[in-house]
Amino acid sequence: MKLLLAIFLLSTIASGHEYAVIANKHMTDLSPSQIKAIFLKKLIVINDFQAVPINLDARDPIRTKFEQRILEMSFDRLQAHWTKEHYLGHRPPISLKSQESVKAFIKKVDGSIGYIEMDNMDDSLKILYKWSD
Amino acid sequence: MHKLLGMFILFLSLHAQDYELGNGIQVGSLPLYLGGYFSLNYENKANEKKYSIDDLSMLGYGSYEKFSYMAEFEFHDLYSQNSVGDKTTIKRDTELHTERLYLDYEYNEHYTFRAGRYNSSIGFWNLLPINVLRPTTSDPKTQDLFPNFTTGADLTYASYDDNEFKIDLMLQNNEDIDPAYNNYNINKLYGFGGVYEKDNYSIKLNGGYFHTKNTLDNDLYYFLFSAKYDVDDYEISSEIGRQESKKRVTTPYAGYLQGLYRFTPKHVGIVRLESYDDKLQNKSDTFGVLGYTYRPAYPIAIKSEYQFHTLNKENQFLFSISVLF
Repeated sequence: MKLLLAIFLLSTIASGHEYAVIANKHMTDLSPSQIKAIFLKKLIVINDFQAVPINLDARDPIRTKFEQRILEMSFDRLQAHWTKEHYLGHRPPISLKSQESVKAFIKKVDGSIGYIEMDNMDDSLKILYKWSD
Repeated sequence: MHKLLGMFILFLSLHAQDYELGNGIQVGSLPLYLGGYFSLNYENKANEKKYSIDDLSMLGYGSYEKFSYMAEFEFHDLYSQNSVGDKTTIKRDTELHTERLYLDYEYNEHYTFRAGRYNSSIGFWNLLPINVLRPTTSDPKTQDLFPNFTTGADLTYASYDDNEFKIDLMLQNNEDIDPAYNNYNINKLYGFGGVYEKDNYSIKLNGGYFHTKNTLDNDLYYFLFSAKYDVDDYEISSEIGRQESKKRVTTPYAGYLQGLYRFTPKHVGIVRLESYDDKLQNKSDTFGVLGYTYRPAYPIAIKSEYQFHTLNKENQFLFSISVLF
């Protein structure tokens, strides 16, 4: 029984996906609270660069995981947030369709920040925060 | 007004495919976004009824590198029909007011400098004061403790290292850009504010001095303490404040405790208990507000509320439809 339980637990851990919030090497270390502030457009400038948060497409499941884990906000509350921010003069983050596009953008633009699966990570990028399912 | 509306409709038609209600539209690829809002109100109090186009506003904003700007112009009470008993009066105020007009400069991740006319960054309600974004059609009396708009400078220090912490300094030492559209006609204001947010909690403290031209006591001091707990399903908030002049206490207290419950994202119930003592108007009251808001989409609010006052003649029903576009 114990052996079965151990196998079950190991298989659960092994099947968990890992994700990372990333930036290029010029980006300073950021706390989860700072990452959240950047994606909610409260923090506009970071490390003397304009902060450029990048989302994946609205229907991408990685985006949903990111919003629940880092922003700690439901889809409805985020929609309400961006309606309020429109009145305050702030726009939502730009969206790109693929993780490859996010990586390419971040490599070129200082101050940009996005999230991808760990499997797609490469050495030219910097990990700011890591989480798993 | 017709020109403003015509321009907006033209831009809307050019960008109809990209347009999403409540998000505004971008003008070409320029750092310029256009939007606006309106509010249609109905009030029924004792033998008095009022229908009004309370707000009709256009706003434009954008950013370029570390600079951003906001311009907002509004018709207030563009049309109102007031009936007291059998007597009905109709008013049309076609003056276009400057609600907000400011430039922001983000010096670094901590400091932001603002110059121009802006919503005084005091309390919770005054940051999102428009009908479609606030919980009820009516404002709490705490809004009367301080000038709702400031024309001058604002310096903010913010830190997001572990939790959110902000200090805010407001300064006005000049005439208001639009004194007719402010609850006090002021030419001086020195104010401070501090906000701390952790998880779902938020507390805020504001205080300051302002000089008015349109009250019995010209030199006034305000204090306001605000606290909020906000989660997906519900929100509890409270504010308590006071106003004094050099000679006396003008408002010993004004405060409220409010509970807001989101049955679903579209259906929201609100209960607010308010109390105040205003010595300048020689009026004190304690009352409850029971409200319900239906949002078919977040930028559209259909609200109704009933107020139960200890001053019975103040009991009233309010209904409004407001949209942010």
